[in-house]
Amino acid sequence: MTVTFRLNGEDYRFRDDPMTPLVDILRQERFLTGTKAVCREGFCGACTVHVDAEAVPSCLKPVGLLEGCEVVTIEGLSAGHQALHPLQAAFEAADAVQCGMCFPGMVMSLSAFMRDNPDASRADIKAAMVGNICRCTGYERIVDTVADCLAQQLHTAKVAGGAGV
Amino acid sequence: MAQSMERSFIAAGSIEEAVASRMVGAVVLAGGTWLMRDPLRGVELPEAVVTLHRIPFLSEVIIDADHMVIGAGVTHEALGKALRGIAGFEALVGAAEGAANPGIRRVATIGGNLCSIDFAEADLAPALLACGAAVELETTSGAKRIDIADFLNDRRALLEQAILTKILLRRDLIASAHIRLPLRKAGDYPVAIVSMALDADKCCRIAVGSVEPVARRWTALEQAFAGEPGGFPRDAERAAALAAEHNDFQGRDGTEAEGWYRLQVLPVLVKRGVAALRATEGLA
Amino acid sequence: MSEASATVMNLPRRDAQDKLRGRTKYTNDRARPDMLHAVLLRSTVPAGRIVRLDASPALACPGVRAVATGADAPGLYGIGITDHPLLAIDTIRYHGEPIAVVAAETEEQARSALAAIILEIEPLAPVLTMAEALEPSARLIHEDWRGYEVITEGGARTGNIAWEAKSSRGDVDAAFARPDVRIVESSFSVGRQSHVPFEPRVAIGSWEDGRAHIQTSTQVPWTVRNVTGRVMQLPPGRVRVTVPPVGGGFGLKFDASIEPITALLARMTGRSVMLENTRQEEMATCLCRENAEIRIRSAVTAEGEIVGREAVVLMDCGAYGGEQVFLTTMTAHTLGGNYRVGATRLVSRAVYTNTPPNGAFRACNGVYNTFALERHTDEICDFLGFDPMEFRKKNVLGDGDLGPTGQVFEDDVLGPMLDRMETLRAKTGTLEAKADGRLYGMATTVGTWFVFTGPSAATVNLNADGSATLVTSGVEIGSGTMMQSLPQIVAGQLGLSPDQVIVREADTDAAGLDVGVGGGRTTVSIGAASISACAEVKEKLLRAAGEMLQTRPEDLVLQGGRVEISGRPGSGTTIPAVVAHAQASTGPITGSGAFTAKNTPAMAGCAMGHFIDALDIPVFVVHEAEVAVDPDTGHVEVLAYRVVQDVGRALNPRAVMGQIQGGVVQGLGYALHEEVTITADGRIAQDDFETYRLPLAGDVVPVVADLYEGAPSLGPLGAKGAGEVPILAVGAAIACAVSRAIGKPVRQLPLTPPRVLRLLHDREPQPDFPHIAPGWATNTLG
Repeated sequence: MTVTFRLNGEDYRFRDDPMTPLVDILRQERFLTGTKAVCREGFCGACTVHVDAEAVPSCLKPVGLLEGCEVVTIEGLSAGHQALHPLQAAFEAADAVQCGMCFPGMVMSLSAFMRDNPDASRADIKAAMVGNICRCTGYERIVDTVADCLAQQLHTAKVAGGAGV
Repeated sequence: MAQSMERSFIAAGSIEEAVASRMVGAVVLAGGTWLMRDPLRGVELPEAVVTLHRIPFLSEVIIDADHMVIGAGVTHEALGKALRGIAGFEALVGAAEGAANPGIRRVATIGGNLCSIDFAEADLAPALLACGAAVELETTSGAKRIDIADFLNDRRALLEQAILTKILLRRDLIASAHIRLPLRKAGDYPVAIVSMALDADKCCRIAVGSVEPVARRWTALEQAFAGEPGGFPRDAERAAALAAEHNDFQGRDGTEAEGWYRLQVLPVLVKRGVAALRATEGLA
Repeated sequence: MSEASATVMNLPRRDAQDKLRGRTKYTNDRARPDMLHAVLLRSTVPAGRIVRLDASPALACPGVRAVATGADAPGLYGIGITDHPLLAIDTIRYHGEPIAVVAAETEEQARSALAAIILEIEPLAPVLTMAEALEPSARLIHEDWRGYEVITEGGARTGNIAWEAKSSRGDVDAAFARPDVRIVESSFSVGRQSHVPFEPRVAIGSWEDGRAHIQTSTQVPWTVRNVTGRVMQLPPGRVRVTVPPVGGGFGLKFDASIEPITALLARMTGRSVMLENTRQEEMATCLCRENAEIRIRSAVTAEGEIVGREAVVLMDCGAYGGEQVFLTTMTAHTLGGNYRVGATRLVSRAVYTNTPPNGAFRACNGVYNTFALERHTDEICDFLGFDPMEFRKKNVLGDGDLGPTGQVFEDDVLGPMLDRMETLRAKTGTLEAKADGRLYGMATTVGTWFVFTGPSAATVNLNADGSATLVTSGVEIGSGTMMQSLPQIVAGQLGLSPDQVIVREADTDAAGLDVGVGGGRTTVSIGAASISACAEVKEKLLRAAGEMLQTRPEDLVLQGGRVEISGRPGSGTTIPAVVAHAQASTGPITGSGAFTAKNTPAMAGCAMGHFIDALDIPVFVVHEAEVAVDPDTGHVEVLAYRVVQDVGRALNPRAVMGQIQGGVVQGLGYALHEEVTITADGRIAQDDFETYRLPLAGDVVPVVADLYEGAPSLGPLGAKGAGEVPILAVGAAIACAVSRAIGKPVRQLPLTPPRVLRLLHDREPQPDFPHIAPGWATNTLG
């Protein structure tokens, strides 16, 4: 069977078993290894990608359901020499990363969350992270960074608003 | 990765087409969050799959003055969003917004939740039992409506010949609550769930999930509530005492908790449920 | 600028950006289309004899390029004793044990071909618990235990006891017989903990110019090199190990496991072969933190002096001795730590069972022995009516006190740290109000750990562009040592900025021996070796600069990328100019350095069967937890967590804080959520993320930490390893706090809600060990 979808802004045509999980196509066919296959059953969040702008686990997504969809992976979030997403930049500046294997998924989940929840509280951020496990950091620095990033985002919006932009 | 065998994968354009595929053995693929775990458990994926995502009405939530219809393909996230703030359906919102984790809730559907037969911990099952839902199945001989309880008990046989399409609810509830008890704050399947709903006549339906293999109504406790002065326990403490007295469940033993534990926590879940009902409904 | 001020900084990590962009290639990201994939045939019974094994039919399956069994790599490996085959030979000792391996063009092909392997096993009744294993009539899990090669002498062993270590100091019988003491006895049991690194164990083997090259996700490249040589019966020098960035280790990757299999298959096929555990395999065969059983007795006077103590610690090593053989050593330093004790005798036994082998895990052995010791201390206080904080202040180890092996501790460290905890608590306040009607408890506990020193080597090359290349066998497992403290140390020594220090990925062909990343040792051991390499570089550099500047080398200093005349900022010349001069005159500037353990002595006759008689660098912690327990459901909520940690000197305080938060949270998992149980057929029941519950963001709190600096350390600039120890006393602090909250003795971990509710309802059986004899000496091999 053939399935056609957009992958990081380009058309991609897949010809094989439509029940193949998206994560396997990303990693094994496209070598987009930033998407990590850790638990492969939707608990850890390390394989999170954006499908039609929603953060979803790619391990449980059969490619057959993706016909016509827009898929963005961590590699597509800030490609090539593009600047880091503000959240990525903030994680780097805060020394939040340790082994780093959960972070692509964290970034994909939380970047969508920040877009949709500009006023989120600390508790909201933690609730949004229920499906993103980190074994190294103990989470709090990640939560702090998202909270700081949201505050910055609000501040920027206010300044822009005040300037009448 | 991809197997070379040619798998039948039908994205049905109509419910009739989907039912026809089901009748020749295709397995219904909803969000995929349950089915796609099978290979990890040594279970092969089905040779023929039919998906429902191209059938628009299955993804709709229709709310009118007296009734509500939820398409079986509505995701947990969409369900929570659609019902948030609608009086009486707090239990459904709680179930939809508390299940699993956000990524799964964006993908997993209400139909998939109810049709996963071995999934004792499904959140929506007790919530819909408490809310008095009915379900509609599509069969080769047309649509068929049955009570949610009958569906849950008979679904293995029913789903051989039918596809779950809609969940139907009356808007006669004044308050409901969904109390789930995962072992962590969130993120694991609850070891016990109590859902309760109260209608305008103060009639209270109570359902329990995850304690036994299939969610069911707690009729002994409903009757005990009804037998209280005023037809409802005077406070949450009294409700808990009644729950302890009328605990007629057979707790499942599982890796995460033994049956004793599931039974032991039911009274406090009832207590929290009654407290939530009172808070919602302003009885306090 | 002082050496310290040039080194200490909150340097961010250089690997963060690639990790955040998903560009970092961990070992399991390095599959290539031309690689073969290997899949293991694993035992589905916990014990048995292999009656028939013929893997050759698998060769006829589509895509299969090689098969191998134990006969293809017959050498045995192990720590202390060699008891472990790479693939089972004749005997099955655990459920999940690898028996054969298939390499094929795709993983699916390899997996399908497993079914073609002819295997007949005669099952044996498994020995699943230490109690069963220690029965006099128990079946021997290793029938040929006497025939194993002994690598390290001194341990007593027999039958199902893989190793026994003892320490004994003073007349314990006399202490217990004193008329003025009361005796308190406690028994504890703990389950296993699974590491769950996000990158599972994975390796890629290839055969290059007659040698094996293994790329692997390991903490110990040199162990992988040596074990591969041993099992393949090759000189270890014929094996090269390189280590890409590692996606978490936590001790799991402190031993060789599947790596040699890839080398074996690569030799057979001439192709690169990748072998990666599935998550289920990873969890079902995890070299867990071992389950353990502890009985401890103390003789204490009415004044609160501990005059005698004895303990028996049983450690389940599973089917093979592995790390537990070594870790029997640690009981003397952990259960025997924390407090000044009169006469002491401790015995620690690694016991074979037909269960998956255990291994090393962050603060191995210390985590549960600290739990046992601190709960025992609270039981002493309860029984004798002492205030737990005052009792600890009175009895913690101080300057000149003796450990169980007769080691003399230097300086007062734990006492002042307890005072610092009280200051910290005064600053943060307590959160009893947040208990909101639930049962509230707070506890302060202490812990003793160490830095595992041991050999390290480093080479520093100074380049003509002013950069320096640091070549070691250190591995970046996530803790940041290779990204932060090491470049900081080298930069501080050479007057460079850390971004001018290039850190070479571990390669056993390029760098000298290293015992691996673990035991909090990297900053200390590789750091010290690096300083020694820098000293040689500096000496050569200043000599060359002296020639150029016509100045005596001792009048020159290195700073800001320049060689300057002391006291005259801006004088002299740049380092690149000196390097260029040296390259043309005497040759490139390089230095090499080495470090090893000081081997701090024990008292004669006190330590038997120990791999480490005394601690070169003790590390202490004080942990304090506040908890609220729901009496209706048994849920424990951690309200607050405070740490005072002995860091010697924090080279990168922000990174240390990150290690403390992460380590404490792993400890919270151990204390509250993470449970491993063994099924009747010898499997680990929790082999996925549904049943093995890791702490999630909602389950944790921000840890408030105070870094205690200035305690003695032979580490670089007085540093101590800071990444391993934060997990040490978490089980202890939580257990003591929960015990106080619920008013019941807590003698087991983890404190899952069902267990806590059973404790509250007096339904939880308390540990009772009929297989531990009442007389201490009966539990030893004489």
